[in-house]
Amino acid sequence: MRKILRIVFIILIVGFVVLQFFQPEKNQGQITDNDILRQHQVPENIAVILKESCFDCHSNNTRYPFYDRVAPVSWMVDDHIQDGKHELNFSEWGEMDIFDKITTLDEIARETKRKAMPLKSYKLMHPKARLSDEQIAAIEKWTTELGEELLKNSISE
Amino acid sequence: MKTKITLNLLFLGLFTLSAAASDTEKSTYYSPAQMSEEVKAVVQNKCFGCHNTDSKNDKAKEDLDFKTFDTLTNLKKVSAYKKIGDVLNENEMPPKKFLDHYPDKKLTDAEKKLLMDWAKAEAEKLVKGM
Repeated sequence: MRKILRIVFIILIVGFVVLQFFQPEKNQGQITDNDILRQHQVPENIAVILKESCFDCHSNNTRYPFYDRVAPVSWMVDDHIQDGKHELNFSEWGEMDIFDKITTLDEIARETKRKAMPLKSYKLMHPKARLSDEQIAAIEKWTTELGEELLKNSISE
Repeated sequence: MKTKITLNLLFLGLFTLSAAASDTEKSTYYSPAQMSEEVKAVVQNKCFGCHNTDSKNDKAKEDLDFKTFDTLTNLKKVSAYKKIGDVLNENEMPPKKFLDHYPDKKLTDAEKKLLMDWAKAEAEKLVKGM
């Protein structure tokens, strides 16, 4: 019995080690002029929130703590990132049309107000990503101001 | 005689007030912009049930309330029109579960196109300042 347990344990260990050779591609691309922080004069307090609470899943640049680099966690994290970027990618903000931008800004305000974003699972592993009520209010103010600015510019064009 | 005149005036006043109230209600009932009769009919028949202030479906009315639509800022309206187009395009509305109970509420392809074209046109008008 002990021998079987030992063999199972060894197989698991070997499997785990082999798994580490198969990793998803890291989400760490170049920052281009399409990035929201280059497209607009984003207030410092908002830029801090975006970097701390949003960009890991909603941009082309993720910060990876050590445990996110270990398979199978790395695959689960990559899955989250792909989903997040599919919904919204701040790195490609410049490529969005005005309708998408305005709607996305509205969604950002709604989702943070409902506390649906950042995701609970993400906040659990990244406590700094939690948003205070003041930060949520600041996001709502910023999204409205930026949306109004985009609309005003579009009308005057 | 004097009492009769006062009563008549009172009734007249009440009648005018109620007529005005009913007019106000009518005008805000199908408020979104210049909805054509065709669009209005589809919205009333297939969407308004859930997407109005008095709906019991809190999420639906929070997402979109046709009764108070005109009170939204232009910015919110653009976003609402865009989302209407998106959810219709993705066949997310009316929701499948709802259609299981009320299959007659399913949008026909023509109705879906009508609403999508309308929402797109209204959003474009706002963005172009028309």
